[in-house]
Formats: sequence, C-alpha cells, structure tokens
Amino acid sequence: MKPPIITVSHLNKHFKVRKHHHGRMAGLRNFFTQEHKLVRAVDGVSFQIAPGELVGYIGPNGAGKSTTIKMLTGLLVPTSGELHVAGRVPWKERRAHVADLGAVFGQRTTLWWDLPVIESLNLLQHIYRIPEARFRRNLDEFRQILELDPFLDTPVRSLSLGQRMRADICAALLHNPKLLFLDEPTIGLDVVAKERIRQFILHINQERGTTVILTTHDLSDVEKLCARVMIIDHGKLLFDGTLDILRERFGGKRELIVDFAQEYPSVEVEGAQVVEKEDGHAVYQFERSAITASELIGRLSAKYRIRDLAVREPDIEETVRRIYEERLLER
Amino acid sequence: MQWHLAMYRRLLAMQLRSQLQYRASFVLDVLSSALISIVEFAATVLVLQRFGNNIGGWTMIELALLYGMIDVTYALTDLFFGGFDPDYFAPMVQRGTLDQLLLKPTNITLQILGSTLRLRRLGRIAQGGTILVVALALVGVRWTPAKIAYLPVVLLGQVGFFGSLFIIGSTTTFWTVQRVEIINVFTSGGRVAMYYPMHIYTKWVRRIFTIVPVIFLNYYPALYLLDKPDPLKMPALAPFLAPVVGFGLLAAALAFWEFGLRHYASTGT
Repeated sequence: MKPPIITVSHLNKHFKVRKHHHGRMAGLRNFFTQEHKLVRAVDGVSFQIAPGELVGYIGPNGAGKSTTIKMLTGLLVPTSGELHVAGRVPWKERRAHVADLGAVFGQRTTLWWDLPVIESLNLLQHIYRIPEARFRRNLDEFRQILELDPFLDTPVRSLSLGQRMRADICAALLHNPKLLFLDEPTIGLDVVAKERIRQFILHINQERGTTVILTTHDLSDVEKLCARVMIIDHGKLLFDGTLDILRERFGGKRELIVDFAQEYPSVEVEGAQVVEKEDGHAVYQFERSAITASELIGRLSAKYRIRDLAVREPDIEETVRRIYEERLLER
Repeated sequence: MQWHLAMYRRLLAMQLRSQLQYRASFVLDVLSSALISIVEFAATVLVLQRFGNNIGGWTMIELALLYGMIDVTYALTDLFFGGFDPDYFAPMVQRGTLDQLLLKPTNITLQILGSTLRLRRLGRIAQGGTILVVALALVGVRWTPAKIAYLPVVLLGQVGFFGSLFIIGSTTTFWTVQRVEIINVFTSGGRVAMYYPMHIYTKWVRRIFTIVPVIFLNYYPALYLLDKPDPLKMPALAPFLAPVVGFGLLAAALAFWEFGLRHYASTGT
C-alpha cells in the first residue's frame, strides 16, 4: 500500500470564545467582563487518507468540518497534534502547500466576477506557474468534458449556478493538484447538473488519481461518489469506514417491495413485517441481522406467485440523521 | 520579484477591465468624486477668506500647495491601497474571501493590493493634481535640481504614510472583527491636520503630530520648497524626514500585518 497522503493524529483545535451573558444588564456585563470559554472545535481527531481515495467528510453545522479543512489546507494552525499533508506541515509552508491543492467552495467563486471565464483561467495559469503545454492540455480536456465552450467568453456574473460550478471546478484543477477539496459542490443545482458534476469528480479521481475530500450536506453526493465516509460531530470523529459498514451498523430496516401476480387476502410471511398493502402490491420491512433478502424472497415465492420485486436500502440520509440525533456513536 | 510585479500588474489589469465593463457608472463615479473634492476645496477656500486670505502668515496659494499635495497623495493611496481600506478589508475577512486568497500560492499582500482598484479616485487625483500644479506654478518656487528630485519622493512618502494607516487599520480587524473607528482619527484627522501649516497649532497638538510624525510629511517639505524659515526651530534635517517617516511607517505596518496574519492563522474568525 502506498504511504498516506494525509496523516492526522490526535489533532486538536481549541478556540477561546467570549462568553455572552443573558438576562438583565447582559449588555453591560458583556461589555465589562471578559470571560472566555474553551470550544473544542476539533477534539482528538486521527485518520489517514491514501493517495487516490475519495472521501466524504460529513457532519452537522458547527461539527468541526470546516475547522479540519482549514487545518488541512494550511489556513489554521492546530492547537496540538500532528498533521502531514503530501509530506508537508501545511501551515508551516503555506505557499508550497497550497500549490498542490485545489479547492472549490460551492457558495463562493474564485473567479473574477465581472470578467469572462477564460480571463480568470489565464490569470490562474500565471499564479500557479502552469507550463503552457500542460495548461493547454488540461484546458482542452476540461472544456470538452465540462462543456465549457458555450460560456468561456461570458462574464462570470452572467453564468447559471451550474455553469459557474463547472468553471470553478475547472479552475481548481488546471494546475494538476494532488489533492482536491470540494465543499458543497452540488449545492443548489438541479438533478442533471448535479449528475454532471459528480461524473466529472469521479473521472478526475479515477483517471488522474487525484485524492478528493468532499464535504457536503447532500448525502446522495456521498452515496454516489465516496467509498469511504468520515462523520464528525462536536469535534470528534464518530465514524470512519465504508458506506456499507455504516449502513450495516446503523442502517435501520431494509425494505422489500413486491408485486404479486394475483390478489391474496393476506400476504404475511415470517421474518418480515407488512407495512403497506394494496391490491396486489406490498411493502415489507426486515432487519438486516434477522434475515437476508434472498431468504425472504425464497419464503415469499414459496407461498405466493410473484411478478416483480425490489429491495430498498435504508436511506443514507435517514441513517446519518439517526446517528446525529440518537448519538448512536457516542463513546 | 519580477514575476510578482508581473502578477500585480495583471491583477490591476483585471480590475481595470472589470470596471470598464460598466462604462456609464465608471464615468459618473469619476465625475462625482471630482465634484465632491472640488466642493470640499471651495468650502475650505471660503473659510480661509474669512481669515483674510492667510493663516499663520501663509498666503492662499502657499496653503493650496499643502492642500494639493495631501489631496493627491491621499487619493493615490485610496486608489492603490483600496484592498487595505478597513471598510473593504473587514468584510473580506468575514466572508472568507481572505481565505480564498490564502489558498493561492503567491504573496498575500500583493493579492490584496490587487483585489480592488478604486478608479473613481481618478477624479480626485485630477482635481488635487490640478490644485498642486497651479499652486506650484503661482507660488514662485525657486526651483533647484534638489527640489525637483525631492518633490516626488515627498509625495511617495505621504502615500506610504497613508498606506501604512490603511494596513494597520485592516490588521487590527483580525482582533476586533469589526473595523475600528480610532484608526480614522489618524487617517482623516491626520489628513485634515496636514492641510494647514503646523505652526498654527498649539504646542501640545504639535507634539502629538511630531510623535505621530505627520509634521514631517507635508509641512516641513513645504517649508523647504518655499525657502521659508522654520518657526519651530527643529534640526535642519527636518524637511528631509518625509521619506524616512513614510517608508519607515510602511515597513512597520507591513511587519504588524505579518504578525496579524500569524494571529489569524491561529484563531481564524
């Protein structure tokens, strides 16, 4: 196995935050006192990421996601702990470090708002000192896959959100970064535009071996793209593993949807619960630990004539919501 | 170095092209900025006339020289150091724009300088420049090569001074988040104070302006250009301190800025 591109061990970032008083005379007390409380934004986080991985990094707002990303990108100095990215300590060598990174923040653009897209790309060539041949090769490739041509000469302010996102992703990759940070890359996009962005992220990850770290609220991004997810909450890493394991451990019930070939007065079967039944159609729920899908199908087809069926995995969104709410992973 | 200059030039060119996209509003901006400064100047002239056209023994034209220099250099600072204007910089930190610049593998100071170019200040520069040129023509300077060489150095020193105030003001927002009004005491206060000959102020005010050394930036160079005797009896070197003060403060401000950046990296916002 290749040595990891990111090594994080016992990483901490603590902030002193001013305490705010409430109630009577709160304003005055806030003005005159300087009480601080310690916020552990990132609290003893450890993980490693191998080159070429595509990792989803998720958590509710204020969980410590962006603090972690800021430390990985060299914008923030850790309070303690170790952090190595591509052989460097990010904050110690910010400029050399960021030359190896690409970053896209869905909410903001790095492009020049009032100028045609191509002018921003040309300037980035200069800023990242990209050799002409490589710049041409990359630009030609991205223009084709991301279909940039119709709007390369359009000012950024006139682009649709989806177009702007494609332009921003192109801008983040022109210098062949080893590591790509994507923050909410599909936010606000329609289904088609989302799909196109996801396809491109996969393409870059597979064809170029670019390591990708994706933070998002849209868990279908994670579902479609990431083999591995990390979940952070209250500064602690709650889960680090594959989506399958996440589902298996916390996934709740699976569902089997059945269309019968004829009507039955009762469609009960052992090992599963009927949650929905109407003329020739039923939905069963069953525990992953209690019975496998094929066993259940076997039992059903022994009793009834079945025309069609489908297994529905528990929604990842639902799973993660349960993890946050029920503190399933609290240590 | 050369590469950095090329990048800075390209950043400015991007700003220029951005703003020329809105031609009508650009023209209006320049005109209104010129108009405002003309009205300001007219108001000052009207006030001065009440004092019998002279303040502390300086004629209207001599005063116009003081006024013109400061007007031009302040507008130049505003044009080129706009990225460090605390009013522009504080929101940049809050919105995360600064972080985006820090993610680019190049000098952060140049990027901020190149992040805005307030072309509407051209109006004020033209107006201040006109006052300065007219004043220099009418005031009867006995030009020597030394004076001709020294004048641009003085102007640059003043730009350095105002620029350093911008940088200090912006850097303090790393601690305060909001921009701090006190910096304006120096920026606006210092600017207005320099419109007038320093010997008209009482002793303690002058002392303040010696400590915050604006006295050397405009008044003393003007004494030298006009061959006026020094009523304050400072060392003979005083007229030549303008570049030392201007660039010295700028260097100090940049050091403070570097310190502020390190603080920012350990706290964020």
